[in-house]
Amino acid sequence: MLSSFATSHPRKLAAQLLNFAFVLSTAFMLFKGLAVIADCSSPIVVVLSGSMEPAMQRGDLIVLWNRGRDVQVGDIVVYNVKGKDIPIVHRVIKRFGGGAEPLQLLTKGDNNEVDDTDLYAPGQRFLKRGDVEGSLVGYIPYVGYVTILFNDYPWVKTVILAFVGLTTLLQRG
Amino acid sequence: MSATTKIALTTRAADLKNTTDDALPNYLHSLKFKQIHTHTDVRLVLGYSAVIIAGTLFYFDWKFGWEATKAYTAPAVVAYFVLNSVFTYWIWFVEAGCVFEGEGKTGKIRIASSTDKHIPIYKCDVTFTPAPYSSNPQQKLKIRAPFTRWFTADGYFVAKPFQQWLASEVPVVGAADPNNVIEEIGRGSETERVLNVTGNNAIDVLEQLKAGAKAGGGSSRRRK
Repeated sequence: MLSSFATSHPRKLAAQLLNFAFVLSTAFMLFKGLAVIADCSSPIVVVLSGSMEPAMQRGDLIVLWNRGRDVQVGDIVVYNVKGKDIPIVHRVIKRFGGGAEPLQLLTKGDNNEVDDTDLYAPGQRFLKRGDVEGSLVGYIPYVGYVTILFNDYPWVKTVILAFVGLTTLLQRG
Repeated sequence: MSATTKIALTTRAADLKNTTDDALPNYLHSLKFKQIHTHTDVRLVLGYSAVIIAGTLFYFDWKFGWEATKAYTAPAVVAYFVLNSVFTYWIWFVEAGCVFEGEGKTGKIRIASSTDKHIPIYKCDVTFTPAPYSSNPQQKLKIRAPFTRWFTADGYFVAKPFQQWLASEVPVVGAADPNNVIEEIGRGSETERVLNVTGNNAIDVLEQLKAGAKAGGGSSRRRK
């Protein structure tokens, strides 16, 4: 089978390469489509820490929604802190303003002793609505563990990608 | 090349079909049929346009972040899935299993192949117009044969019986390759020869059979 691949005409080669590229691009575009609908840059997030136990475990996959949602106390949200690239998944415990005054939010992990003030940027005491990526609307347990594996062992990502590539290239039609 | 192509013993109808699909254009090329690649080219253009859109979005998103690209993301996603649908439609309905489309001295020909799952029979839908085009209409033909006709028991593809089958079944190919047109296979070994043998004409029948075997070439008779 590999020998027939090597002697392929350029068109056939292009077609097989296209199959591989298609798999990747469709996955990517589905993700982006969901991001547009949910108005959230990353609508699918994996829980990386245990700070929200027992509600969320490490490795859970959560789905976020940001369109037309006002953030209430008790919502689980994902937010970004300026200067840090890992988003945090915690619960909103206090809410100020929201009417004439700008909305201010305080968050805390269920499993943490203290609120998130220390996690915010130096001098920042509250979150703004704009800092919140989205609110949790659903979750699937355990599924996200693959991503944690990818983070802890980056070579796994390369292996999986190579595997997908090889199977698509060697398949026909 | 085709004579030494080997398939694994745990062969599936799909592998047999793929090898046969590869052999078909090779055979027709050898008969000086010029292949028309329009279908494949359109498919490639459609597919790669979609992939390029996805790639561009990926690049901009990676470089400039979500906020900057947000305005372009929605249209890009829509464009991508529209192209994707057209691409899928093209493959399913327009290309529809086309393995070869081309033109030669003896006429135009388009061959689309298919197999049913788990049934090792190669089926072709042939659309052809014999030359000269002004005096001949377009004709359609459905032909089929089991893979055992051109694959050995240990999985080798043998070109000769495949070429004979194609040349005998399709007039345009047969006209270009008369050496491979075999009457017996053309009729299909499905038809049984009925011999009336009585005590009186047994010797006559035997003589007839001997004469028939010599003329047709013993090797072309196949046992099921």
